[in-house]
Amino acid sequence: MNKKLPYSTPSGYFDSLQSRLSRIPARRTRFNFVPYLALAVSFSLLVLIGNYILTKSTASQPASDEAIIEYLIDSGTTLAQLENAVDY
Amino acid sequence: MPEQEKYFNDLVKKYSEPLYWHVRAMVGSHEDTDDLLQEIFIKVWNAMPRFRGDSDVFTWLWRIATNETLSHLRKARVRAALSFVRIDTEAERISDPDPYFDGNEALRALRKAIASLPDKQRLVFTMRYYEDLSYEQISEITGTSVGALKASYHIAYEKIKQHLTE
Repeated sequence: MNKKLPYSTPSGYFDSLQSRLSRIPARRTRFNFVPYLALAVSFSLLVLIGNYILTKSTASQPASDEAIIEYLIDSGTTLAQLENAVDY
Repeated sequence: MPEQEKYFNDLVKKYSEPLYWHVRAMVGSHEDTDDLLQEIFIKVWNAMPRFRGDSDVFTWLWRIATNETLSHLRKARVRAALSFVRIDTEAERISDPDPYFDGNEALRALRKAIASLPDKQRLVFTMRYYEDLSYEQISEITGTSVGALKASYHIAYEKIKQHLTE
């Protein structure tokens, strides 16, 4: 096949290639825990980051008077309802 | 020795050398071919439980090797683009500094011309020219129609002819 190809290989290359390739099954069947470890670390990081973002965004900041007023106006709360609520 | 391992070793014994030349014809460099063969046989080992013999072993192996080689060439092109290496330079790299290149100047020019082809055309050309595979065999390996392969080969042939007469 390689008659037309202008290439050569190092001497004894194909013997060494076959012996290296024959070792693949032994290497591949050994239990490889690295992907599982990486998955566990990624999951933990995801939980930590999610928790951090969640606690930061929901941390209670007292609303200003302006914000409360705007909310009441936007929600259509009437003065009567407000007075009732205060009396209550 | 388990059955799968014995079968794998038989494949290595029978096909590692022809597969080496199949990949080398496409890639050019001995070192890259050597690395790719490791990857190819790891893929073969992993895919063995799923191989049901729908296609023959030759087609199955050549398909894995061809896909892996095309993927390697694509990555090399992207890497070259990111490091702002001209594609011509990449094509020249394939022939020039290889200590395992045995050809004369005409063969070196032919290698450069082949290396300058787009991947698919290079694939079809090398499989026809160096491996003497039929269009039907190449079609089974690549999943491309015979007509499209013939067109690709013709275009590749014309480009090489033009490259060599420039």
